[in-house]
Amino acid sequence: MSTPAATVVAILVLAAAGVVPVAVAVGPRWVVVPLAPLGGALLAALAATASLSVGAPLLAWFVGLAAGAAVVAVVHTVRSGPGPWAVARRHRGPWDRHRVAGLVGFVVVVAACAWSLRGLRSPTVGFDARALWVMRPGWFLQSHAQLLVDLRTRGLVLTQSAYPPLVSAATAVAWRVTGVHTARLGVTTVALLNACALAAAALALVECGRSAAARLARPVDGIDEVDPVDGVVDGADRKAPWAPMVVGVVAAGLVVAVAAGVCEPFLTNGYADPIWSLAAVGAAAYGLQSTDDRANRAATVVLVLVAGLSKNEGLVTALALVALVAARSIGVSGIRDDRRRWRVPLGVAAAEVAVLAWWPVAMHVIGARGASSTFTTSNGAGSRMSAVVHGMSPYLHVLVLAVPLSVVGGLVLSAVRRRAGVGNDLWAWLALAVGLLAVGGALVTGTGAIVPWIRSTVHRITEYPILQAWWIVAVWAVVASSGIATGRTAPDPVTERSGRGPTVTGDGADRPSSAPAEVPA
Amino acid sequence: MQTVLATVASVLVAAVALVALVGQAVRGDRTVAAQLAPAAVHDASVDDAYYRCIDVQAHSLVGPGRTVALSTDNLADVVTMIKGFGSWVTVADPSSSAAVVLTLRDGPGGPGTCLGTRVVATTVGPGGVRVVRLGTGAEVPGQGPPPAPPL
Repeated sequence: MSTPAATVVAILVLAAAGVVPVAVAVGPRWVVVPLAPLGGALLAALAATASLSVGAPLLAWFVGLAAGAAVVAVVHTVRSGPGPWAVARRHRGPWDRHRVAGLVGFVVVVAACAWSLRGLRSPTVGFDARALWVMRPGWFLQSHAQLLVDLRTRGLVLTQSAYPPLVSAATAVAWRVTGVHTARLGVTTVALLNACALAAAALALVECGRSAAARLARPVDGIDEVDPVDGVVDGADRKAPWAPMVVGVVAAGLVVAVAAGVCEPFLTNGYADPIWSLAAVGAAAYGLQSTDDRANRAATVVLVLVAGLSKNEGLVTALALVALVAARSIGVSGIRDDRRRWRVPLGVAAAEVAVLAWWPVAMHVIGARGASSTFTTSNGAGSRMSAVVHGMSPYLHVLVLAVPLSVVGGLVLSAVRRRAGVGNDLWAWLALAVGLLAVGGALVTGTGAIVPWIRSTVHRITEYPILQAWWIVAVWAVVASSGIATGRTAPDPVTERSGRGPTVTGDGADRPSSAPAEVPA
Repeated sequence: MQTVLATVASVLVAAVALVALVGQAVRGDRTVAAQLAPAAVHDASVDDAYYRCIDVQAHSLVGPGRTVALSTDNLADVVTMIKGFGSWVTVADPSSSAAVVLTLRDGPGGPGTCLGTRVVATTVGPGGVRVVRLGTGAEVPGQGPPPAPPL
């Protein structure tokens, strides 16, 4: 089997494993397409961890976990209702502009991702990829006893083999199902998973524009048609502005190109840095900037777990994102008086932390190379911090643009941002800050020689904060376009009163995802 | 007045953000295109051929199920061996129990070498006699090491 054919088979297998739980949880949205392979890769990582912890072959665990996740998802839907699919069943209006924007946005993002992957025409396999990320899959396919030897024995010297398993586990599944055991197949599979994470993050911008347009939509004749039974506004009778949707689509396409430039050559040479960085940006997008609903929470869970199971830096950032998302879900009202709002966010966060902690705990239990701490506080933290700041600064010039843009936007457009239904900008900055602190903290407290360490890694470990900053810039473009759209018309009484738009109904994958509060009958 | 101010600010913010995104997207596209420069593709091809050659030579020396130890005399060679065939060899634990000890022998480029490097296997034959065999089945002409890929 040729490498391109094997890559397609591998991605289809991963997507098949992930599509049922992802689709059930996220609902009929375009983002299910890139999230499904990522869900499969997540299952592969859990299968590798289970195989290491308990025994039994990786592929048996992979098939078992995929089947189990699908059954649980279907049973949960049967018992508790269709969740995100319910809105689709209540479809009554065509919302043609939203359909067009959703479809065009998806096509633009897919095309931009495909164009950005043309670096795969070069047969590059990165240094770390060959030494670790697409070498370790072979270990996952060996016997349990041999896997323990591979991870423990000091003769293999590389301490990075204790890093989280997602990239290698997904490659191991690709090797097993295709019979093609090459580093090149690992690189191409990882590159497509990178593209999936990038597409998921970019589609959040498309959804941001559609959501803003839905909230800013006005009745065609000035009067809303409200269903007397369920109080749902008929989407067919409301006219959404084009500007936020068009800018959302354009910004999504541009963000893909920007991200490809930030991540290359590692986007297409098998490294794990792009997938955790891009997944973390997506997790922040759905968990901290989009509407706090079940579908977005599900997308956040997938992406935050992908980030945390891909690399140590991603693990620390993912844990911080889990805390931020839970804090946002609980909100100020939850802290003040409504303790019932703590239950679901804390439950989800606890489950995420348990999944994220499984691999590193297993590494410590088996005594793997590189699992012991290399942190120290007594080796010149001041000079190390100075070296870190000076090393990272040249790569963070995007902050010179993003900070003033956020200040101006926050001062002048915060009301528009609220009406558009976009999360507070401070959450996005917090997400950026925790990523910087995670990486900077590891460098400052590490024991390795700081200057060569930074020189050889800074362009990779700063990918996440750079991408997050560009995402912030892109969101302000969408918000500002909403401001232009609303500036031409008087505020809609519905959105003006509640700060939220009417319930939007649509069908299938092209429905607006905002799912704002229903209008009182 | 407030509406005018908000509209002007919206236009400015949208324009600045989109222009910056377009500029950075163009830069990003050039970065991607640089991966396809002839020199970059050539270096990647040589690197790929080198490690495939090492892999094939190791396969010629290690039979199915035989345990292996990687000689730790040279750290760089250990890393090269891990990169070349670390995914499939059955590493012995302890290393003294290995059926085969693999090492790399660097020298001038020539027939039967991978850019001058050859995989060497040392086994202990009947009567405790050390047997040294050279890897076969692949070669890459030229002199190593291969071009260093980006870290």
